[in-house]
Amino acid sequence: MTMGYIVLQNLRRNRLRTALTLVAFALPMGVFVLAISLLAALIEIGNMNERELRLGVHHKVTLINLLPDAMRRKIEALDPERKRLTAVCGMRWFGGKIPEEPAPIQSLAADADTFPIVYSDAGMTPEDIEAWNKDRQAAVVGYGVIEQYKQKYPDFKLGGRVSLKSSVPPYLELEFHIVKVIEKANRAQTFYFRRDYLTESLKEAGVDSPKCNIFWVKCNGADELRELQTAIDQEFSNSADETKSEDENAFAASFTQALGNLPGLMNAMAIVVLVIVGLVAGNTMMMSFRERTRELGVFKAMGFPPIRIFTIVLSESVMLAAIGAIIGIAPVWIGLTFYPLPKLGVLPIASLKASPAAAYISLIIAIAIGAAAGFWPAYQAMRLRTVDALRRVA
Amino acid sequence: MALPLTYNWKNLFVRKSTTVLTCLIIASVVGVLTWLVGFKSSLDRSLSFANDRAKIIVLKQGSTSETNSAIAPEDANKLTQLQSLAVDAKGEPLKSPEMVVQVSLPRKRDNGVTFANVAVRGVTDTAFAVHPNIRLLSRPFAQGQLEVIVGVQAAKQFGGLEVGDVVQLGYGGNRGFTVVGHFSANGAPVESEIWGPLTVLMSSYSRTAYSSVSLRLRDGVDAKAVVAEIEGPAIEMTGKTESDYWTEQTSNIRIYMMIVGVLVGIMSIAAIFAIANTMYASVAGRTREIAMLRTIGFTPNQVLLGFLYESVFLSLIGGVLGLLACAAWLSLAGNTKDMFGSNTFTTMGFEIRLGPAIVVKALGAVAAVGLLGALFPAWRASKLQVIKAMREA
Repeated sequence: MTMGYIVLQNLRRNRLRTALTLVAFALPMGVFVLAISLLAALIEIGNMNERELRLGVHHKVTLINLLPDAMRRKIEALDPERKRLTAVCGMRWFGGKIPEEPAPIQSLAADADTFPIVYSDAGMTPEDIEAWNKDRQAAVVGYGVIEQYKQKYPDFKLGGRVSLKSSVPPYLELEFHIVKVIEKANRAQTFYFRRDYLTESLKEAGVDSPKCNIFWVKCNGADELRELQTAIDQEFSNSADETKSEDENAFAASFTQALGNLPGLMNAMAIVVLVIVGLVAGNTMMMSFRERTRELGVFKAMGFPPIRIFTIVLSESVMLAAIGAIIGIAPVWIGLTFYPLPKLGVLPIASLKASPAAAYISLIIAIAIGAAAGFWPAYQAMRLRTVDALRRVA
Repeated sequence: MALPLTYNWKNLFVRKSTTVLTCLIIASVVGVLTWLVGFKSSLDRSLSFANDRAKIIVLKQGSTSETNSAIAPEDANKLTQLQSLAVDAKGEPLKSPEMVVQVSLPRKRDNGVTFANVAVRGVTDTAFAVHPNIRLLSRPFAQGQLEVIVGVQAAKQFGGLEVGDVVQLGYGGNRGFTVVGHFSANGAPVESEIWGPLTVLMSSYSRTAYSSVSLRLRDGVDAKAVVAEIEGPAIEMTGKTESDYWTEQTSNIRIYMMIVGVLVGIMSIAAIFAIANTMYASVAGRTREIAMLRTIGFTPNQVLLGFLYESVFLSLIGGVLGLLACAAWLSLAGNTKDMFGSNTFTTMGFEIRLGPAIVVKALGAVAAVGLLGALFPAWRASKLQVIKAMREA
C-alpha cells in the first residue's frame, strides 16, 4: 500500500466533496492565472520599454499642446557629439479612425528619418526601412491593430492600403500603405506613418503647422537618460514652450491610472483569489480530517509513524490543490492560445496572451497554498493520541 | 410548527472552524463584488446626473468629443436659426459657446506621482443658464479676469485647486488664474472640470474657434428633431443629447467593467460550490439528528427549509464581513477614481461610495449564493430515509 494509493483512495472516497472542492478551487485559479498573465504581460512591456531607453519630451501643460518641430534640432544640439542620445523622433497625434468605426486607432505621424532608429524595437529590416523611406504613404502597424480589424476590413494586412480619417481638426482623411507589421507586444496597438506626409497634407488643406505633440529621444544609457531629462527641461524652461520629459514607463503610468488602473485591480484580485482558494482547501481538509479522525487513529494503532500520518494528510491537500489548479488553468490557457485578446482591441487587456511563466507560477502557488492549507489538519493528525482518536465519534 | 431559527443559528457554532472558513470565503467574494458594484453604480450615478433632456451639445461635424471639435464663431452663429431654443429674460436664445482645453495636474491619491488631464472649460455667463445644474458654492469668476471656478470633484482629486490657489493655464502654462470658488453639479461629470471666462481663456490659448456650443431647448421640444435639424444641410454640425454624449464617452469603461464583472461572476460561482461543500458536510455529519427531527414530526419540507436558512445565515454573516472589509479598504486606500472618456482625453473623477442600494444588492447576491449552494444538500437532507439513518453509526 503506497502513499499515493492511500491519498488517491482518500480523495475518491467522498467523491462529491472532492468534486465540489475542485470546482471551488479551479474557478478562482482560472481568474488568478488570467490576472497574473495580464500583470506578466504588462511587466514584460514595461521591461521592454525600459530597455529601449526612450525619453518623451512633451509640453508641460498638456500633451495636447503642440511643440514647434524646430525643437528637435535644439534637443539634438544639446549633444552634438551624440554621446548621450542616439536620435530624436518627433511625433504628432493623428487619431485616425476607419470612417465606419466609432473608436480611433492610436495613430501617430513620426519623423521618417529617425523612426527606424528610435523605434528599433519595431524590428524593421533594411528592406522594410527602404520601403518606408521610398513610400510617402508608408505605415508601420502593430499586430494588435491588424488582429482587431482584419476580419472586417481585409485591407488591414501587410501590403494593404487603408484609409483613416483623423479625429482632430482639420479631420483629414489620408490613405496609407502598410509596409510593416510590428510583432512586439509593447507596440502592438499603434499605427505609425510618416510625418512629412501629414505636414504636406495639412498644408494642402490650408493648415501650415509642422508641429509635434511629443519628441521621443533615444538615449545611450540609463544615466544619460536621466541627465538628458534634466538638461532638456532646463533648456526650455522660461520659454513659451516649457517641456516635461518622462521616460516611457512614467509616461504610460498616467494613462494607466486614467484607464481605471487595471494592473492595480488585477493585483488586488489575485490576492483575494489566493485567500479564497486557501480557505476552500483549508475548509475541505478540516472537514475530511474531522470525519476521518478514527481512521487516522487506526493507522496510528497499526504503527504508522506520526510523520507518515502528517505526510498522508498534507499530500492529500497538495494533490487536491494541484488537480484543482490544473483544471482551472488549462481552459484559460487553451482559450488564450486560440482566441488572442488583441481582437478586443482595448488597452491594456489586449496585451494579454497565454504566458507559460504565469501558468507555472499559478501552479506552484496553488501547490504552496494546498500545502499551507493542509498543514494545520496534518499537524493535528500527527499529534493525535491514538486512544482519543479511536474513541472519537464523527 | 416550523423548525425554530435558533436551531439553525446554533448549528453554525457547532462546527466553528468550518463555519469561519466558509464565512471568510464568502466575505472575500463579497468584498470584491461590493467594490465592483460600488464602482459601477458610482459611475452610473454620475452619468445619471448628465441626462438633461433639454440640453444638446453641438460639435463640429464628424468629431466625437469636445476635445477634438473646433467650431468657428461664424459657424456657431448658424445655430441662431434654430427656432426651438429657450430664451433668457432679455429674449436672447440660450446657447453657450464653450472652449475645452486641458491642464495636466497631479493626482492627490498617489501624491502627485502621476498626472491627470483635467478639462478646462471657457464659458460665458449664458452657460449658467444653459447648465442649470451648476451650483456655485461661492462667487463666480468675473468675465475678463484671470479667475476660474473649480468643480468639487476636481478640487478633491487633483492638486492645487483650493480656493485662493493659482493654477497656471494658457498655452504656455504661464498665465496664473486664481481659483475664486468651487461649484457642484449634483455629482455630474462636469464636477471634474475647471471653468473660466471664455474670452480670456481663448486668448490665453491663442484660439479663435470654440470647441462646442451647448443649447437649452424650450420646454416640450423634441430633442431628436433638433438634432436632425443641426445635422441637416442648413447647419451641418453634429448634435448630441447630453446623455448620448456621456454614454459614448464611457464605452471603454463599460468594456472594462464587463471584464471585471465576468471575473467576479466566476468567483461567485466558486463561492456557491464552497457553500455546497460545507452544507453537504453539515448534512452528512447530522444524519442521525435529521432522522430524529423527522421522527418527532418535522416534515421533509421543514428540514429542507431549515438547511436553507442555515446556509443563508452563513452567507449573510460572510456578506456583512465582506461589506465591512470593502468599506475599510475604501477608507484606507482611498475611494477616488478617475477615468478618461473614450474620446475626450480628459479625465472624469468619481468616488466609490457604498450607499444603501449597494448594501442591499450585495447582500441580495450573497443570499442567492447561499440559497443556491444549499439547495442540493438541503434536498438530500429532506429525502433522508428515516429508518436507515437512525440505524447508521
